[in-house]
Amino acid sequence: MAVKRKAIEDPDLNLTPIMNLVTILIPFLIMAAQFVQLSVIDSTLPAIGPPQEVEPPKPDEKPPLQLSIALTGTGLTILGADSIIYPDGKPEFAEGEEKPPTLPCKSGGSCQNVEDYDWKTLREKLNLIKDEYPDDENVILVPNSDTQYEIIVRAMDTARDDPDADNRTLFPFVVVAGGAM
Amino acid sequence: MKKARRQEVDTNLNINSMMDMMTIILVFLLKSYSATDVSVAPSDDLTLPFSSAQKAPEVAVNLVLEQGRILVDGVPVVTLTKQTDEKSGKELVAVPESEMQGQNIGELYEVLYEKAEQAKALGDRSNNPDLAFKGRILLQVDKEMPYSVLRSVMYTAGQAQFGEFKFVVYKQE
Repeated sequence: MAVKRKAIEDPDLNLTPIMNLVTILIPFLIMAAQFVQLSVIDSTLPAIGPPQEVEPPKPDEKPPLQLSIALTGTGLTILGADSIIYPDGKPEFAEGEEKPPTLPCKSGGSCQNVEDYDWKTLREKLNLIKDEYPDDENVILVPNSDTQYEIIVRAMDTARDDPDADNRTLFPFVVVAGGAM
Repeated sequence: MKKARRQEVDTNLNINSMMDMMTIILVFLLKSYSATDVSVAPSDDLTLPFSSAQKAPEVAVNLVLEQGRILVDGVPVVTLTKQTDEKSGKELVAVPESEMQGQNIGELYEVLYEKAEQAKALGDRSNNPDLAFKGRILLQVDKEMPYSVLRSVMYTAGQAQFGEFKFVVYKQE
């Protein structure tokens, strides 16, 4: 009987030392906590200078792919893979007339924001090019002087892989070129 | 005498509910714990873009390109100005003419060259291949930065022996 009474008298666990520990741990963990996850995109030194002239493809052999994507205020232009993008032959333009971009802005005219660029079609075209050149992994971005950094990053993302096609690797090695001077 | 005794009895505070809360906070904080050394200080002048890139950042020279200035390892180096673009008429951030030496940003080049030499000396002395100078540089760039500024910064970094750029971005969920 005496034993039972003693147990009833002291039912509380002394939590004070645990509290002390937790109170110290929490500020420490808050300091070390990272609420935004960071990652990095690799790139190497760009070549500064005028864009290189792409050699005309020879009819007998498969020309090396020199894929570039120009990012301008009016849209995206894919360079160096004309035969794949235009299977029916490249559209002709009058001399002196300014060529429109391969993938114009969705709203027409000049792009208002990042979403205005036609990333979906760009990805489709890059998939087609990758089908033709499965070993090629390089792409050169040629942004305009006033192209925003966000658009360059989005272009790198689009060129890297395709989440809709089981993360198929497209062109992961991106170099940012000097751009139009 | 009676009053004092009553106070003595009431000293035990019930901290069970507080313990519950603390335990949940502890678990949550442990989940978001990360030991990476790369940190960003987001502000109105520096909003990194989101990206689907998955590569984890590693320690390197940290170059921050904000709307108003360029910082290297937390130290402001160059102050940027706003210029009106002739073609579009928009106000764009630009490197002031007085800072430019050809295509180089003079002040930035000095600082980065110093950093590269320090890193090289450290690498030579340590004999540890992990510490050898590889020309890596972390670029934290505001998402609205025009490419003209970024190009000048990349060119200057390249001249100062930094050829491996790592653009820091927020990971998309």
